[in-house]
Amino acid sequence: MEPRRLIYLLMIIAVAAPVMFGLSQAPSRLVSAERMYSVVDTVEVKPGEVALVWLDFGPNTVAENEPQAVVLLEHLFRRRIPVLLLSQYQQAEGFLRRIPQEIAERLEREMVGQTWRYGEAWVNAGFKPGGAIFIQSLVNAADIPKFLGRDVSGMPISNFPAFASIGGVERVKIVGEITGLVGVFDSIVQFFQKNGYRPTLVHGCTSITIPEAYIFLDSGQLKGLLEGIAGAAWYSEVIKKHFPLSDNSKLLVTNTALSAAHIMIIALIFAGNVVAFVSRSRRSRG
Amino acid sequence: MDSASLWTLSSTLIGGIATLAIFSFLIRENGFYRFFEHIFIGVAAGIAPMLTLRDFLWPQIIDPMRGVTITTYPDGTLSGPYQPLYLLYIVPMIFGSLYYALYSPRHAWLAKVVIGFTLGASGALAIRGFFSEVIPQLAGSFKPLVVISSGAISWSDSINNVIFVAILLLVLNYFFFTFGKEGSLQGKSAPLGRPLLMVCFGAFFGSTVMARLALLVERVQFLLQDWWTAVHTIVGIG
Repeated sequence: MEPRRLIYLLMIIAVAAPVMFGLSQAPSRLVSAERMYSVVDTVEVKPGEVALVWLDFGPNTVAENEPQAVVLLEHLFRRRIPVLLLSQYQQAEGFLRRIPQEIAERLEREMVGQTWRYGEAWVNAGFKPGGAIFIQSLVNAADIPKFLGRDVSGMPISNFPAFASIGGVERVKIVGEITGLVGVFDSIVQFFQKNGYRPTLVHGCTSITIPEAYIFLDSGQLKGLLEGIAGAAWYSEVIKKHFPLSDNSKLLVTNTALSAAHIMIIALIFAGNVVAFVSRSRRSRG
Repeated sequence: MDSASLWTLSSTLIGGIATLAIFSFLIRENGFYRFFEHIFIGVAAGIAPMLTLRDFLWPQIIDPMRGVTITTYPDGTLSGPYQPLYLLYIVPMIFGSLYYALYSPRHAWLAKVVIGFTLGASGALAIRGFFSEVIPQLAGSFKPLVVISSGAISWSDSINNVIFVAILLLVLNYFFFTFGKEGSLQGKSAPLGRPLLMVCFGAFFGSTVMARLALLVERVQFLLQDWWTAVHTIVGIG
């Protein structure tokens, strides 16, 4: 077998073994994810105020962004903060519908008798094109539900009591941006502000964009950060610490499979260097 | 099996076959891979205009202009009067459509008006965005070298800040190409920025590998759990 194909095979085995046998390890502690938990947990939201969460990801980054969206929305739902969901990315459409619905069903199974209903816990405003121009218009709107118009089902957002009295951007207390797209998160930082008012901003990024996101975290523009799957896994552990019935087993298996792949890469780099060193020594000895 | 379950089952099956087709490239270039690659490109190109039309242009622009967003209640009253101002949407729509004048050599100059407008607006947005994004980061990089916390020196924060400022200055120094003599302190310290940049590039590369592996984990989970269950269901039906 060609070495290249052997490497592919070993990588797939390393990833598949934890998934097949349901192996999971406790995730590493990530300070930025923990900070994000405490920010979301302590932000003060009065009746009529909301959280606004952008799910700007598609199938290309779903592996990292979906777990992040799940833990953030789960936390907001547990805190009973109404969530206005929207996206600047067309391919997020399916996730905007599926993810909150699945979380609501899971929470209802966990806490029998309590409900998380569409229109009360969340509203899906859908895909909104226009990028920075749309964000500026949204921020400057005197009445956000009126500006957004209708949800994805065609229902006026102002018909939902939890969202009817939002008014302007000052009533948006927390903004979550889950994306792996370059430039999309930047436009939120740049334009989501009005007359000096900036809501608390938290972000879930893919591993590729972690180095860029740290700059925003360091400057204080960002209050909390989820770094790839590892960030989501640690956030889910913190949720579990506060709500022991929360089920994060699948996410922990995913995180473990990722770690197994990392160990395999390190082992392959080590083995490759040893083989190269030995064969060079043999050649030099003739 | 109801139609929703059948739809989920068939989309899962097709998704698994498509995943295996794309992964087959790891063995060698083949027709199976090419076929699904073309399908992917076609779907990705087609979904954007379709969703823009369905989720934005139609419900947000066309319907209000037509007045179909006004609800008629059972007693015959309306949820609101028709707003003729919505018809003003036609003006930017016509202006934007001038972009397609590019396809006519005689009228191509009309597209330049739209392009000029777009460039001007984008430039203005970029300038505003730059200041609101970069200025706080610049201010954030001015860190105190000695951090006093609760009346005492916080050694860990102070060391962190010293390292941060030292790296910032060394890397900035590396990019001074216009002045500085060999043998001067600036000239001697400039090469120190290079290994620091290498560390940074290494971190970028490591995080890129991690992102790609996350995609692999997600696909393997899909194949071993969702797709395999769907295959079992089909075999069970058969």
